[in-house]
Amino acid sequence: MDGYYSRLNNGCPWHRSLDNAAAPTCSATNRSSGRLKKVFICLTVTLWPWMLTAQELIVNKATPNTQISQNQARLCFTMRLPLWENNVPVKVFVLPDNHPLHRKFAKNILGLFPYQLRQVWDRQIFSGTGQAPIMVATEQEMVERVASTPGSVGYVESGSSYPQVRTLEVR
Amino acid sequence: MHRRVIALLPVLGLMSANAEESQSIWDPLQVHGFASQAVVRTSDNHFFGNSPETSFDFTEIGINASLLINPQILLSGQLLARRAGNMYDGTPNLDYGLADFTLASSIEHRWGLRAGRIKNPLGIYNETRDVPFTHPGIFLPQVVYFDKIRNLALSLDGLMFYGETYSNLGTLSLTVGGGRSVLDDNVEWTFLRNDYDGEFQPNGIVGLARLWYSAPGEQLKFGLSGTTLSLQFDPGQHSPLSAGTTDIFYWIASIQYDAEDWTLTAEYAREPLEWRDYGPLLSNLRTTVEGYYLQGTYRIRPNVELLLRYEEGFANRNDRDGVEFSLLRGPPPFTYFSKIWTAGLRWDINRQWMVRAEYQRHHGTFVLSFRENPDPSQLSEYWNLFAVQAAFRF
Repeated sequence: MDGYYSRLNNGCPWHRSLDNAAAPTCSATNRSSGRLKKVFICLTVTLWPWMLTAQELIVNKATPNTQISQNQARLCFTMRLPLWENNVPVKVFVLPDNHPLHRKFAKNILGLFPYQLRQVWDRQIFSGTGQAPIMVATEQEMVERVASTPGSVGYVESGSSYPQVRTLEVR
Repeated sequence: MHRRVIALLPVLGLMSANAEESQSIWDPLQVHGFASQAVVRTSDNHFFGNSPETSFDFTEIGINASLLINPQILLSGQLLARRAGNMYDGTPNLDYGLADFTLASSIEHRWGLRAGRIKNPLGIYNETRDVPFTHPGIFLPQVVYFDKIRNLALSLDGLMFYGETYSNLGTLSLTVGGGRSVLDDNVEWTFLRNDYDGEFQPNGIVGLARLWYSAPGEQLKFGLSGTTLSLQFDPGQHSPLSAGTTDIFYWIASIQYDAEDWTLTAEYAREPLEWRDYGPLLSNLRTTVEGYYLQGTYRIRPNVELLLRYEEGFANRNDRDGVEFSLLRGPPPFTYFSKIWTAGLRWDINRQWMVRAEYQRHHGTFVLSFRENPDPSQLSEYWNLFAVQAAFRF
């Protein structure tokens, strides 16, 4: 449940300002009907833009999966899942740590803070127990690399803009 | 040496440009590295060099390569050159060199085996303790991660089995290892307080175990890790000591909580030690070293971090004020404990460069190296430290 709420809160860039604007209206009454109204307004302003701007996980089209659990997505991006179910090696593409899309994807889809991903990768890189994901510079490059690399996984702002890759639902 | 280090930096810069380029095609070979230089000044006492006069003798340079032969086999190795006052002179050595075999993996578990020289996964920081980017503060909490005797539990030449299970409840992982410990002169300086004619040898094999839990999302992590080893002193012809042994069991309990802007970390370490059969000069002795710290980091921005830490460490947990040990072994009581406040600021300028500054207020000198401070009568009970560090990575 925590993860769900944090996803709601973090998924929407306008959420903070809208929520603040809505707050005085909601707190004008302390009766229970007022509380319900507050919940309704807050949910609406939160959910609506979130649905429009969700980041999406993408894979190479040859990957048979149509959905992926959040756990499996975390394993992929923390470099702990070497193979897909069809035995194709997992190849992970990421944007730089400070890229806005990377930050949003890590938080909203993986449920990890970007600095935690960096810590996991650094521990593997500098203790010899794993390798770093492949870093690309832009979302466009991400799409091109994922489209051309079997077994690859990455992310974009909106998968429907890129027919050359498959969007996986993270559940 | 200092000049040599500076001369190396542009070379590392060039290599980093190449590394970026080589990542533009999928490549099973990865090369990474880091270099750091610190400046240390203390009010009294020597810490990482002649610090009362300002020391530049803390430099770390590492370069590693890893080759993914197939999804189940990874080969990796790292060379480390580390200069740390009188403790290390910067001679490069093999930090780790291993083959990692994934024996089974799925979305529910992963099992594997590592063979070679492997960094010991002790506590939160030991595996990457010499990589400045991987820990808050220029210096690790010395009461748990002693730099005066860093090599004791740093790595082992042997085997480690690891297993992890993944579920909606989180990740549970277990590591069990055994082999020979990789020792150096600092072990002798710390345990015998001198560099006698003779050498410490590992006595039998080192055992290591680690049990770790991470909640889903890794916000909460905690675990236990420990190692047990025995050292045999092999006396030279002129040694006043006989062939004694020192038995060590070192364990750490760790907990860490990550929020978006802040992280809280606490670790507690205990190290029962026993000296036997060294002859009249060093009587048989048992003690339990103890250390713990609480550390908070707060990220003002994603790339600017504040650090506050308090730590305490004792040469003997049953004699925390050091009075009994002082009567038994000589130097004043304050040399048997350390209580340290640390405040620091870190700025990650970009993906490759980081600078940080740190202030420490010390009561006691237990964390200091005898090798750097051979005359206890010269030690000051209360002292301050200020240090700055610049670090580069690729």
